[in-house]
Amino acid sequence: MVQASPVALSVPAAAIVGELRRNEITHVVNVPDTHQRTLLAELARQSEMRLITACTEDEAIAISAGLWVGGQRPILSIQHVGLLAAMNNLKGIAMDARIPTCMLVGYFGRDVTRPARENAARAIRLIEPTLDTWGVAYFPLERPEDLPVLARAYRYSTEHCEPSVVLIGAPTS
Amino acid sequence: MWRRDAIAALVAERGDAITITTEQAIGAWRAAVPEALNEIPHHLDIVGCMGSASTIGLGIALAQPTRAIIVVDADGSLLMQLGSLVTIAGAAPANLHHFVFENGVYETSGSQPLPAEGRFDLAQMARAAGYAHAMQFSDAAAFAAALPDVLRQRGPVFVSVRTEPEDGYLVRSSAGTRLDVQMHALRERLAAR
Repeated sequence: MVQASPVALSVPAAAIVGELRRNEITHVVNVPDTHQRTLLAELARQSEMRLITACTEDEAIAISAGLWVGGQRPILSIQHVGLLAAMNNLKGIAMDARIPTCMLVGYFGRDVTRPARENAARAIRLIEPTLDTWGVAYFPLERPEDLPVLARAYRYSTEHCEPSVVLIGAPTS
Repeated sequence: MWRRDAIAALVAERGDAITITTEQAIGAWRAAVPEALNEIPHHLDIVGCMGSASTIGLGIALAQPTRAIIVVDADGSLLMQLGSLVTIAGAAPANLHHFVFENGVYETSGSQPLPAEGRFDLAQMARAAGYAHAMQFSDAAAFAAALPDVLRQRGPVFVSVRTEPEDGYLVRSSAGTRLDVQMHALRERLAAR
């Protein structure tokens, strides 16, 4: 039997942390995402960027907004279903208050042999169409060579004062 | 106590704190401060993201650790994001004072009672969540007298302020100033200091 080859490949957590440093990120506000567990572990081992854990993604967006108002460069780390749970503050804070809000969003449970839009899991295949509907810019991170999208997403968010989403296709390693 | 009396005490003692109000406290705060409408420096009126005043305050507190942050929240709002008590306690901002005005109703939408009103205790919840201090006041004179000491305590501090239900008004975006304008202006002011 021929095995389907993966569409999305794992990106090393250390490489993501390096990219966060290059973008001068000061705080990572997270609601723990299984998909990004190695990234969270890597962040917990360093002290340059403060890792803040929130109970909900709505809170995470609000904390990130306060950090930005206070002059910091925060980023969020959440799960795809958490993004759906946080649509109220995505609209009320990131969009209506025009707060740069860049989010690393993990596709937990994705079948990596298929594009996200063709996944059987409803919450995964509906993420990109949902972001399209809301007009939120997104940047797929499907393999290690895609890592520069993180800088692009962050820059997009700060330059346009809008939310942006980095969609992490495979679990970080 | 009446909301206006508690707000007057807070305005008198705010010093150079960054202040954040939400819901029904917005109008009372604006009525109490001497500054003209839309010209209150270092202040935010939070609308459009109910329950987020305290976590926006948390972010500012972490970003500006040398500035005092006063959040004037409401019971219905806090209940929208009750887990934020634990989030705030976890981040442990020493410069955050979280006042929650408790009138027991959703005043803006017509004063419907909160679920289980009279049977829960937000100050005890905050204490159990891990706030450094938590207390409750129901008398205006006692609140005003205690406020200077309360504001000197190391945060996060939670203060339940029991107020009488009043005739609410429809909270609009910052009584005239859009949230985006306020937040961008505050960022610029803080950067300029």
